[in-house]
Amino acid sequence: MHIEKHPVLGRQLHKPVTIYFNDQPYQAYAQQSVAAALMANGIKKLGVSRKLVQSRGLFCSRGRCCSCYMTIDGEDHVRSCMTEVEDGMRINSNMDDPEVRREINAD
Amino acid sequence: MDDKSTIICRCEEISCEEVEEVISNGGRTFDDVKRITRCGMGPCQAKICTSLVAEIIHQQTGLSLSEIPLPRMRMPISPIKLETLATNSTSFSAVKSVLDEVELEEGKVR
Amino acid sequence: MQTDVLIIGGGPAGLSAAIEAASRGLDVTIVDEANQLGGQLNQQTQELRPLPSIYESMRGFELAHKLIEQIKDYNVRQLLNHRVVGFYADGSAGITDEENVFPVNAKKIIVASGAAEKAVAFPKWTMPGIMTIGAAQTLINRDFVMPGREAVIVGSSDFAMETAIQLMDVGIRVKAIIEKQSGTAAKEQEKVSELTRKGIPFYFNSFIKEARGNGQVEQIDVALPDEVITLNVDLVCMDGGRAPILDVFYQLGCSFGFQEELGGWVPQYNNRLQTDREDVFIAGNAAGISTHGPLLLTGMIAGISASEELQAISHAEAHEMREALWKELGLLEYKEVYSGRVKHLENFASPVLKDQFIS
Repeated sequence: MHIEKHPVLGRQLHKPVTIYFNDQPYQAYAQQSVAAALMANGIKKLGVSRKLVQSRGLFCSRGRCCSCYMTIDGEDHVRSCMTEVEDGMRINSNMDDPEVRREINAD
Repeated sequence: MDDKSTIICRCEEISCEEVEEVISNGGRTFDDVKRITRCGMGPCQAKICTSLVAEIIHQQTGLSLSEIPLPRMRMPISPIKLETLATNSTSFSAVKSVLDEVELEEGKVR
Repeated sequence: MQTDVLIIGGGPAGLSAAIEAASRGLDVTIVDEANQLGGQLNQQTQELRPLPSIYESMRGFELAHKLIEQIKDYNVRQLLNHRVVGFYADGSAGITDEENVFPVNAKKIIVASGAAEKAVAFPKWTMPGIMTIGAAQTLINRDFVMPGREAVIVGSSDFAMETAIQLMDVGIRVKAIIEKQSGTAAKEQEKVSELTRKGIPFYFNSFIKEARGNGQVEQIDVALPDEVITLNVDLVCMDGGRAPILDVFYQLGCSFGFQEELGGWVPQYNNRLQTDREDVFIAGNAAGISTHGPLLLTGMIAGISASEELQAISHAEAHEMREALWKELGLLEYKEVYSGRVKHLENFASPVLKDQFIS
C-alpha cells in the first residue's frame, strides 16, 4: 500500500508511473525505489538465494546487503533499493546468478 | 545461538554450524572463517555478516571483540559492473589500479 | 578531476564539513551514492535535539533542507548518484557514475561514510518482510510505502523506539518490542514511556526463536523467559545496533582502534579529526556512533582542520574554533560516548590495527 497522506510529510506522491513486474503492470510513483514500489503492491519476494533457493526481499535498503537484487530493464543483479522507478520499467525477479560467460563474436 | 542451522552469511548461505566448525578447528578471525567456508564472499562482500561472525567467535572462544580483527575489505568497495570498471573507464589507469591485482605492461596484462 | 577537499558522504557530517571548507573559499566536492544530499536525515521525521547552538531544534528532513540550502551559498561540486569504489595508486579516489570510473585528485579527503546497521540472526531471518529498522523507516518516510500491517521490533535502541512510533503513526500495528537484555537499550526514556502508554508490550530477556511463512514472514515464535508465544506478523524490524562504515578508511590505509562506546572498530584520529593518514579526515558516525549534535560538530571540526592545512584559515583561529567545538561536543554528547571518544583520542599514538593483513 502507498501512503497517500503521511502524518508528518503530508501528500508526497504526485507522479504516478506504471512498472512491469514479471510482465504484470503495477502502479508506482516517481521517486520511489523499485523495491519499495513493489512492496507497495504487496510484492515482498524479489528473488531467491543463490544456493538454497530461498525467498529474498528488501533487507537493508541502503545498497549494502544485495538482498534486493533484481533484473531491471534486462540488466541482472541490480540493487532494487537503490534504483528509482521509471515509467514503463520492466522488472523481473532475481532467480539465478547471471550468465557472465559469453561467446565473443558469437554472430 | 540455539538453532545451529541459522544462516549467518545471507549471500553464500553459510550456517552458524559451519562457522562454529571453523572456530573449533582453530579459526580466530573473520578471514579464517571466510577462507574455509566462503562466508562473506558473496555479493555484499561481508557487509552484513562481519559483526555476526565476530559475535560467534567471541561467544565460542571468549576472545573479546577487540581481539578479533576486521576482515580485509577489498576494492571495489561496492558492486560495480565489470563493463564500467574496464571498458568504459575514462582513463585507462583506472583499470590498472582499481583491479589492484592486474599488472599491466604497455597496456597488456603481464 | 581536481579538487581541494573531497568529501565522501553527503549526510549531516559531510555537509557541515563542506560548509566549513567551502565558506573559506576552498574548492569542495561531495560524493554521495544517493540521488539527494542529506543522507539518513531525509527519512528522519523525529525532532532532533540537542543540536549545536547555531541550529534551532528541528526535524531530520528539515535539517537536511537547511544544510543543503547553506551549501548553495558556496560553490560546492555535487557528485550525486556517484560512489567511491576504490583508490588509485597515486591516491586519487576512483569514483563511478555507473557508466565510467574516473579519478578525483583531492588535496584533502574528509570521509563521512556514516554508520551501518548490524543484523540480528535467528532462524529464517533471511525471509522477505524481515528488515532493519532503518529500511522500515526509509519505506514509510522516504518511499511512502507501508512495509506491512502488523509488526514486531527486535531490539530497543533510541533508533528502534523512534521507528516504532513512526510505524504506528502511519497505521502499522506494533505488536511487541522484543529485547534480549533485561531492560531497554534506549537512552531516552521518553519514547519508551510513550510506547508503554500506547500499550505496546516490551518482552525482555526474550528473542525470536523462529520465523515462518510461505515466501515471506507470516508468523514468529518468541521465546519469553518462561514460555514460547506465537505472533502473526508480516513485518519484523531488527535493531542490532550500528557500527561505523570502514571500507573507505581501510582502502586509504588508515589504522583502527576498538572502542566499544563508539560502536566497535573505529579509525584512529586525533583532536583535529585527522586520521593517521595526514591528508585524510573523519567526521560523523564513522568517527563513532553518536547523536545528531555531535555528528554536525565532528563535521565542522574536520572541515576546519582540512581548511587549516590548506591555509584557508590561520592556525590560531582554527585552534580556537576547535576548542569551542570540542567543548560543545562534551556538553551535547552522551557521557559514555564522549568518554569513549576521549579514550579513542588518547590511543591515537598507539594504533591497534595497522597493516595486519597478509593475503
